[in-house]
Amino acid sequence: MTERIIFYILAFIMIVFSLMSVTSTKIIRSAIYLLGVLMATAGLYFLFNLNFLGAIQLTVYAGGIMVLIVIAILLTHHVGFGLPVPDKKHMILGWLAAMIGITISFFQFTTHTFKPKIGNLDDRVSKMGADMLHYGDGGFVLPFEVISILLLAGIIAAITIAKGGIPHLKKRLKSGQPTTVSSSTKKQ
Amino acid sequence: MNWIDIVTIMRDEWSIIGILILLLAGEILVDKKQLSMLIPIAIGLFVLHTAMSFIPGDKATLFGGMYRTNEMMHFMKAILNVAVLIILFQSYDWVKTTLLPNGMANAFYMLLFAVLSGMYFLISAGDFIMFFIGFELSTLPIAAMAAFQLKEMRSTEAGIKLVLLAGLASGIMLYGISLMYAVTGTLYFDGFLSAYYHEPLLVFGFILFLSGLAFKISLVPFHFWAPDVYEGAPIAITSLLSVVSKAASVFILMILLLTVFKDLSDAWKMVLYILAVLTMTIGNLFALRQTNMKRFLAFSSIAQAGFILLGILAGGAVGAATVIYFVLIYVFTNLGAFGVIQAIKDESGKEDMTDYTGLYRTNPKLSLVLVLALFSLAGIPPVAGFFGKFFLFSAAAGKGYYILLIIAVINVTISLYYYLLPIRAMLLRTSDTPIPTTKSGNMMRIGLLICVAGIMILGLYSPVYSFVLGLTQSWL
Amino acid sequence: METGIQIGDVLLVTSIMFFIGVYGFVTRKNLIAVLMSLEIIINAAAINFVLINKLVFTTNLHGVFFTFFILAVAAVEVAIGLVIILNLYRLKDSIDPEEITTLKH
Repeated sequence: MTERIIFYILAFIMIVFSLMSVTSTKIIRSAIYLLGVLMATAGLYFLFNLNFLGAIQLTVYAGGIMVLIVIAILLTHHVGFGLPVPDKKHMILGWLAAMIGITISFFQFTTHTFKPKIGNLDDRVSKMGADMLHYGDGGFVLPFEVISILLLAGIIAAITIAKGGIPHLKKRLKSGQPTTVSSSTKKQ
Repeated sequence: MNWIDIVTIMRDEWSIIGILILLLAGEILVDKKQLSMLIPIAIGLFVLHTAMSFIPGDKATLFGGMYRTNEMMHFMKAILNVAVLIILFQSYDWVKTTLLPNGMANAFYMLLFAVLSGMYFLISAGDFIMFFIGFELSTLPIAAMAAFQLKEMRSTEAGIKLVLLAGLASGIMLYGISLMYAVTGTLYFDGFLSAYYHEPLLVFGFILFLSGLAFKISLVPFHFWAPDVYEGAPIAITSLLSVVSKAASVFILMILLLTVFKDLSDAWKMVLYILAVLTMTIGNLFALRQTNMKRFLAFSSIAQAGFILLGILAGGAVGAATVIYFVLIYVFTNLGAFGVIQAIKDESGKEDMTDYTGLYRTNPKLSLVLVLALFSLAGIPPVAGFFGKFFLFSAAAGKGYYILLIIAVINVTISLYYYLLPIRAMLLRTSDTPIPTTKSGNMMRIGLLICVAGIMILGLYSPVYSFVLGLTQSWL
Repeated sequence: METGIQIGDVLLVTSIMFFIGVYGFVTRKNLIAVLMSLEIIINAAAINFVLINKLVFTTNLHGVFFTFFILAVAAVEVAIGLVIILNLYRLKDSIDPEEITTLKH
C-alpha cells in the first residue's frame, strides 16, 4: 500500500511538472521543472528497486543532459528571459492533439487485459553487467558496441560545429562588431 | 557462433568502422597542414570497401538474434555503398573548397561513414533495440552535417529542424514500440507478433511506430520538414538525405512489413494505401509550383516515395523485388540530377530554375546528364526509370490494386509536365544571362559518369531484375 | 514489493506525459524549449519500457536495457541539437527566438 501511495505521488509530480515545464513562460523555470520530472522518474525507478537504472537516470539525464541544457540557456538567454505565449492556433491544435491522444490511449488501456505477472525480474546489477557483455542469446553486446559509434559520431559532430565557428567569431570580435552578449542584453 | 563467423559475416560493418577509426587516427596524428591528404585516402578506401561489398553475402543470425543478414540484405547494403560512393565523388570539389579550409573535411567523411554503418545495422536489425540505434545513428549525424555550412543561416536552420523533427519522430516511434511491447512481451523480431495481432492496443502502437518511420521516408502528411531541410542543407547532404537515407528506410520498412508485421497486413495495407495516394498526389501538386531546383527535386522525391509504396503494398517476392529494383534506379537517377545541380552550384552559385534557361548552349554535357536524369524520373521509355515504374505498377496490378493504379498513372502524367519544364528551358530557350561554361573536376565527372552508366545499363540490360527477384525469392 | 501498482495506471501516466510533451513541441516557439518538450516525450517512452519489463514480462531484461540505450541516444541528440542552436545564435546575434525559429509552418 505504501508503494502505491508513493507511486501516485510520483506520478502526480511527473504530470504536474511536465505540464508546468511546457507552459511556463520563464525558460529557466521550465528547465527546472523538467529537472523535477526527470528526478521523479529516477525516484520511480528506485521505488521499483531498479537502483542501477535510477542512478544512471540521475547522472546521465538529470545530471548531464540537464546541465547541458541549463548552460545553453545561460549562454543564449538573459536569466529572466520570458518565453512568448503561444498563439491561439498552435495552442488549440496542441490541446486537440493531446486530448485526442490521451482519450484514445485511455480507452486502449482500460479495455486491454494485460498479462499477469509471472515470476520476478532478475534485476541484480551483476546480472545486468553480465548481460551487457554477453554475445549469445539474450546478450546485449552488439547494441552496446554500436551505441559507442553513435556517441563517437556525436562527439565528432559537436566538436566540429563548435570549433568551426571560432574563426568566424574571432573575425567578428576583431572588426569591432558588438558581441553577442551585449546585443542580447540591449534587447531585454 | 565463433569469432571467425563474426568477422566474416559482418565484414561490411567491420570494414566501414575500420575506415572510420583510421580516419579518426589520421585526424589526431597527421599534421594540420597535411590534413588534405586524408581526402584521397578516405575515397580510395571506400572504393575498396564498395568493391568488396559485391562479394555475395551469406544468410546468418548472430548475437542471439540481434543481428541477422542474408543475400538480399547484403545486396541492399551494396546499393547503399554505391550511392555513398557517388556522393563522395560528387562532393569532392565542395569538400575541398568549403570544408577543408575550416578543418571540417575529415569530420565530414567520418560522419558519413558513421551514418552508413548505422544504415547497415538498421537493415540488419534483429530486434527493436538494434533497430532504434541504427535509426538514430543514420539520422543524427546527418542533422549535424546539414548544419556544416556554419556561416549560412539556411544550412544551420536545416540542421536544427532535422534534429528536432527526427527527435519527435523517434520519440513517437519509441512510444509505439513500448505499447507493442506491452502486448507482445518481446522485442525480438522473431516471433514478435505470434498470436496478438488482433489486439487494438497493438494496432495503436503499430500506427505510432509506422508514423515515426514515415517521417524518415517523408511520406505525406509527415513530409513537412523535407522541403525546407533539402533546400537549406548543402547539396551533398541533400542527396544523402533524399537518396541514401530514404533508400535505407524504405528497405527496413519493407523488411518489417513483409516479415515481422505480416499478420497485421489488414491494418498496414489500409494505412499504406492512404499514405500512397496522399504522398503521390500532394508531392506532385507541390512540385508543380517550385522554382528552386533543390526544392523541386525534394518534392519530386516525395512523390517518388509514394510510388515505392505500391510495391510494398503488392507484397510477396515480386513486390519486394520491384521495390529494390526501383530504389536501385532511383539512386542513379536522383544522384545524377543532384550531381548536375552541385556542379553548377560549385561553379556559379546558382540553383534557381530560371537560371537554367539556355543551359544546353553553354554546358551541353551537364544539361544532357540532367535531361537523362529527368527523363528517368519521369519514366519515359528508353531509360531505366520507365522500367522501375513499370515493374512497380505491374506488381500492384497483379494484386488487384486497380483504383490505386489509376491514381498513380494520373500522377505520372502530371509529373511528366513538371519534369519537362526544366528540360524545355534548358534545351529550347535562350537566355540573356546564361550560366557560364563550367569545367567540373575529374571526380565530379566520374560521379556523373557512374550515374549515366547506371541509368543506361539498368534500362537496357534486363538480367538485373531477375537477379533481384532471385534474391527476394530466397528471402521470403 | 510494488504490490498493487497496475501496469495500466503506469501506462496512463506516461501517456499523459507523452501527450503533454507533444503539446509542448507543437506550441513552443523557443528552440531550447522545444528540445525540452522532446525530453519529456522520450522520458515517457523510457519509463514504459522499464515498468512493462518489471511489472509484466519478467523473463529477460530487454526493456531495462532499451532504456539504457534510450538514455545514451537522448544525450547525443541533446548535444547535437544544442551545438547547432549555439551556432545559430552565433550567426544571428540574437536571442529572440521569434527571429530564429522558422520551424513553424
